Amino acid sequence: MAPDDHPPAAIVCAGLVKRFDNGMTAVDGIDLTLAGGRTTALLGPSGCGKSTLLRMIAGLEEPSIGGITIAGQPPAALCRQGSLSVAFQDPCLLPWLTLRQNIALGRKLARLPADPATVDRLIDLVGLGGFQQMRPAALSGGMRQRAAIARALATRPRVLLLDEPFGALDALTRRQLAQDLPPLWRHAGATTVLVTHSVDEAVMLADRIVVLSPRPARVLADIPVPLDWPRRPDLSEAPAFRRLVQTALAALVRGGERSQAVAAQ
Amino acid sequence: MGLLVLLALWQALALAGGGYLLAGPLGVASWLAAHGGLILRALSVTLANAAWGFLLGNLAAILLAAIALVWPRLLNLVGGLALVVFCLPLVATGPILRVLMGPGEGPQVVLAALAVYYTTLIPLLAGLRAAPQVWFDLIRSYGRGRWSELAHVRARAALPYLLAGLQISAPAAVLGAMVGEFTGAERGLGVLTIRFTRDLDVPALWGVAGIAAAASIVPYAALGWLGARIADDKPPVILSPPRIVRGSPFRKAAGTALLVGAVLVLWWGGMEVLGLNRFFAKRPDDLAEALLWAPDAARTRQVLWAATVQTLIWALPGYLAGLAAGAGLAILLSLLPWLGSLMTPLAVALRSIPIVTTAPLVVVLTGRGAAGTMTLVALMVFFPTFVACQHGLRQAPGPILDLFRSHAAGRLARLLHLRIPAMLPALFASARMAVPAAILAVTVVEWLATGRGLGSLMALSASLSDYDMLWLTVAVVTVMAALFHAAVSAAERRVLAAFAPEQTHA
Ligand SMILES: Nc1ncnc2c1ncn2[C@@H]1O[C@H](COP(=O)(O)OP(=O)(O)O)[C@@H](O)[C@H]1O
Ligand SMILES: [Mg+2]
Repeated sequence: MAPDDHPPAAIVCAGLVKRFDNGMTAVDGIDLTLAGGRTTALLGPSGCGKSTLLRMIAGLEEPSIGGITIAGQPPAALCRQGSLSVAFQDPCLLPWLTLRQNIALGRKLARLPADPATVDRLIDLVGLGGFQQMRPAALSGGMRQRAAIARALATRPRVLLLDEPFGALDALTRRQLAQDLPPLWRHAGATTVLVTHSVDEAVMLADRIVVLSPRPARVLADIPVPLDWPRRPDLSEAPAFRRLVQTALAALVRGGERSQAVAAQ
Repeated sequence: MGLLVLLALWQALALAGGGYLLAGPLGVASWLAAHGGLILRALSVTLANAAWGFLLGNLAAILLAAIALVWPRLLNLVGGLALVVFCLPLVATGPILRVLMGPGEGPQVVLAALAVYYTTLIPLLAGLRAAPQVWFDLIRSYGRGRWSELAHVRARAALPYLLAGLQISAPAAVLGAMVGEFTGAERGLGVLTIRFTRDLDVPALWGVAGIAAAASIVPYAALGWLGARIADDKPPVILSPPRIVRGSPFRKAAGTALLVGAVLVLWWGGMEVLGLNRFFAKRPDDLAEALLWAPDAARTRQVLWAATVQTLIWALPGYLAGLAAGAGLAILLSLLPWLGSLMTPLAVALRSIPIVTTAPLVVVLTGRGAAGTMTLVALMVFFPTFVACQHGLRQAPGPILDLFRSHAAGRLARLLHLRIPAMLPALFASARMAVPAAILAVTVVEWLATGRGLGSLMALSASLSDYDMLWLTVAVVTVMAALFHAAVSAAERRVLAAFAPEQTHA
């Protein structure tokens, strides 16, 4: 895939707070600058506010306080240009479309010309070749999730937001996709934000890990991942990899203990 | 196969009964063969009226749904007004339309349209909102707005609902047209029915009823077939209307007041704009005067009250019996699956017959008294309830059924703890939708045969040109239907909150 004409889009979150109408605070004061073209993993326990943060970056949720700019513009502007893609936690395929039509829908919604070659290549890449004409109901959960990732990639977005993209996948497919996907979005110059609660996945896929506290989400640790690309699966045995995992895990555990202590008071 | 058995049974019964009340299929067929021309002419009139009504009513439904979609704030008002119009008693609306529109096919077409639009509107409104929020998030994440939502999600998600609505409205259109023909038209199957009822011509009555049934079943089946071709995803049978009013008691009261106000304004304003004569086009204040401070107001109230009580005494047991029989048979058949697979297609076919059009026949068969009336009301309620309950019983989620099986829970336990709770939403949905149907049935029988109750009062005031009383009966029946509907909805909401909380958010 050829690099995009646009320069990489940096994402700036300034003083983000999200309090829902029911009074629940999901995100409480997050300042982050995500360099363009890089992959950042948002790592945190379930229910801490990761999806909420991602939805704010996607322009789907308005921050209660603070603001977000992407390449100097509000997120909605990028959405309108069709240069932002989200792969939701729920694969979110339309049941009446075939797998192929669902993946092509991304380009259609982004008002991009149909590009059958790219669509087919992506389908093969996520291992769904031969299932093009199937309806989502006939696919397994993992297959649907892979289709959602392919749909998000089909527009060659400048900003790619992935919400637990490998949640429903088996270990083998996870490993395979962790190999195949990062080169795609890195080569396209996409700024990628990856939500996950798996420490290994964060280290394997990201250039940087932002560890979030239990709800309400605050930044606990900001860990650079200085491992070379491409990363091979056996990298996860390397001492450098294990050390990064230990660091991130320690930050998570400290955050958990602190919030328990706060709750106990 | 089942049909053949049924025909044979029918013929045997007819022979045994001496052919007086039950004309056998052979007798009916020979009568039809002898009167082919007559029947064909009447059929073409009725079908044309029904087709126009189908078209106009469904267009109106789609238009109303579009309004509610573009201005979501109007949803409650649109739904409420639609319900009020749906509760209008078709029987008495016919004569009023006839004086307003003059002779011709106009009233029959309007009645057919009135009979169909609500059963299309409600599923359509539900269908347009049937998509999960994430699909809209997806559309928004590409920076697209409401039109893309409509084009890519809502329209397609609503399609199976629309098709289901259209299918149900085919027999309903025939019903509406025939009710119009019962109450003063010059041509059509309904007119023939009235004539043969008067002559007690039993084979002829069966013949017309059979033709009317075929005229309903054929388009019903055809639309079903077409629908399956167009969209293979079936909508849930639970055609629960979107919440009419949500929120605090104050907001509910305000919503109801707004609705009543809108009805009065539209009624009064429509009459004024069309410049209709006050003599037959009564305004709300005319009715208030007739009911409250006219010299004979006390007598008017007494007559109305007596008729209302008489109608309720027969309609209510019939309604309850129909519900009980529908749910009971569905439960029974779920315990005897082999019988169920035999009965279901039959019930679906019978469900598509506009029962009301067989009213004269039922009256001839069971007499002009309570039995005939209750039977008809019960039949009217029974078929939709049975079909919906059968569907509901099958709704118990598979994984939970497996859980019960893994604990070796018996059939009865599964029925009590799983299937019947899963059936309740369907039962209540059909109980709600059956309220206007039951009232239609009872007023038709009263109009045609029994000579008592509100239906008979309507017939009497129509023939005496007592338009005050005619409009009053329409108002009373409409208010009564709306109140019953509201009461069933309230009960439904309670039950759903307990047994199917996921449905209450719809
Ligand atoms: N629309 C909403 N209204 C109220 N609370 C919400 C809403 N969306 C999410 N929450 C709450 O915010 C918290 C964080 O949710 P989420 O961001 O989905 O967590 P995560 O993705 O980290 O698991 C949860 O406690 C959730 O219940
Ligand atoms: Mg989440």
